[in-house]
Amino acid sequence: MTKQTLPNDKPLMGKIITKELECEDTYKFLIELPIKAQRALPGQFIMLWVPGVDEFPIGIAGFKENILEVGIAKMGPGTEAMINKQIGDLVGVRGFYGKPFKPPQDVNHLLIGGGFGMTPLKLLTTTLLEKDSKQNIHVFEGARTKDRLMYLDWFQDLHDKDLITFHVCTDDGSYGYQGFPTVDLENFLQENQTPSVMYVAGPEKMMKAIFNIGKKYSNVMDMQMSLADRYMRCGFGACSYCAVDPTGWRICVDGPVFNTEQLEQISDFGLYKRLESGEKVRI
Amino acid sequence: MSFDTEVGDIQLRNPLILASGVLGTTYSTLQRTYEAGLGAVITKSIGPRSRIGNPNPSVFALQEIRSVINSVGLANPGYSIFREDIQILNENKIPTIVSIFGENKEEFLEVLNGLKDLSVLAFELNLSCPNTEKGGTQIGTDPELVKEIVSMLRKETEIPLWVKLTPNVSNILEIADAAIKGGSDALVAINTLKAMVIDIQTKMPVLGFKRGGLSGAAIKPIGIRYVYDLYENFGDKIPIIGVGGIYRGEDIIEYLLAGATAVEIGTSLGVAYPENMIRFFQMKIKKYMKEHQFNSIKEITGGAHR
Repeated sequence: MTKQTLPNDKPLMGKIITKELECEDTYKFLIELPIKAQRALPGQFIMLWVPGVDEFPIGIAGFKENILEVGIAKMGPGTEAMINKQIGDLVGVRGFYGKPFKPPQDVNHLLIGGGFGMTPLKLLTTTLLEKDSKQNIHVFEGARTKDRLMYLDWFQDLHDKDLITFHVCTDDGSYGYQGFPTVDLENFLQENQTPSVMYVAGPEKMMKAIFNIGKKYSNVMDMQMSLADRYMRCGFGACSYCAVDPTGWRICVDGPVFNTEQLEQISDFGLYKRLESGEKVRI
Repeated sequence: MSFDTEVGDIQLRNPLILASGVLGTTYSTLQRTYEAGLGAVITKSIGPRSRIGNPNPSVFALQEIRSVINSVGLANPGYSIFREDIQILNENKIPTIVSIFGENKEEFLEVLNGLKDLSVLAFELNLSCPNTEKGGTQIGTDPELVKEIVSMLRKETEIPLWVKLTPNVSNILEIADAAIKGGSDALVAINTLKAMVIDIQTKMPVLGFKRGGLSGAAIKPIGIRYVYDLYENFGDKIPIIGVGGIYRGEDIIEYLLAGATAVEIGTSLGVAYPENMIRFFQMKIKKYMKEHQFNSIKEITGGAHR
């Protein structure tokens, strides 16, 4: 039976069917789940359980019927244990959790990401390309070097097929132009007066900087940013370890994707996060 | 018709209180939940120093029984840091009850003394968390220790002390009696039940801490039974606050009829949007009071004891 979404339940055990090196220190995994669901929405996340080690939130890069794609970079003991998993091993999945990106009609879609932030943006790109009418999609990706560009071949291929425009850069100039994604982003916003919506995922400090850039341009209709890079326990709203001040919004259910109006109200945005103890610290 | 509620000397605008452990890590979720229409809120349990708690998975839902299992293990920033959150709640005039815990008498004393100068409606003593190696349940199952801790804290403050009881005992009445003799101002029943989930594919306990505590709909009949028993034995001496598995307005009425003066709600507010849940609760209580010609919450309390 195909369900609307997965149930909010104990971890659903899925089998790893593909494991590939995606870029430096980052692996692409395909996980086969025992239940079919209609779809995962771009920006939603799962809680991934590596049995006996840890459970952590991770963005969804793709989902079709019952095959889930995630990208795992080495961040700590949990992600490291996941990277050491092999094809055939079982891992637990809870989700899909959170509010997704909500792309409106008739705008330029500007997807801006860094590092594992590219994960939800990959699913967003897939979703936009599935629409009946051709969408104007621009993807801005930056990394330190070519080896660290996530989904480089995938995005480059779409660019070569003229399905998206891929604005790619590296700090050292080893691929694309040398510099930050914001350079091309600002060039685009200055040259195109048609309405644009920005979708951003990545480190929060970077997002805050991009948010401040976006605010300068009246042709930016909305900025939707994913604040998923925070400590979470439950993923469905109960524990509140991911909550932001002063609104009391839980990243896991009220987010992780917030729009411009909401981001303006979150004083923690780009500045503070919570540790496992609940203590608030500077990012 | 009025929702006004009195728990001992404490006046509340209604009998709905946010239970400790859900939405209580930061002032902003507590404030949000209060503003959604509760009578008061209770913080996450606060101890003497920062604790990161147990490894994940530490909270997940069990859909079939509309419940949640957790082994968070009292993760908290410690009272000296959490003071700031309470101060903001004070400034914003949010009726706040602070849940405190310690591994021994001295730690309870330290936490209470570190917070008692703040505007706190009551301290709820968490003598019953099942998710730590020491303290918690261990204290809450020993009547002598319960009496000793409550009477020691009683001497330190005029602020009401509520004792949260564990259901994981053979005789809850014995513990309740000890809490009353120690000078407790209200009894809160129940905390989570000891529980566990094993994944049959990997043959491993799912919780990072292996063992945990169960909350949610599955434990409601147990909470009702305990509140009923407590009311029968101590209802004339002390207010009883019912907690465990409230998912619908009807559950609140049931707790009141069993003998509760007020109720605490946790899991269901966390799993859903607190704003919607609280609105439904209030609508249901109002409808029930109208249908059964109750004018006050007090009139419902203990109604099942006939």
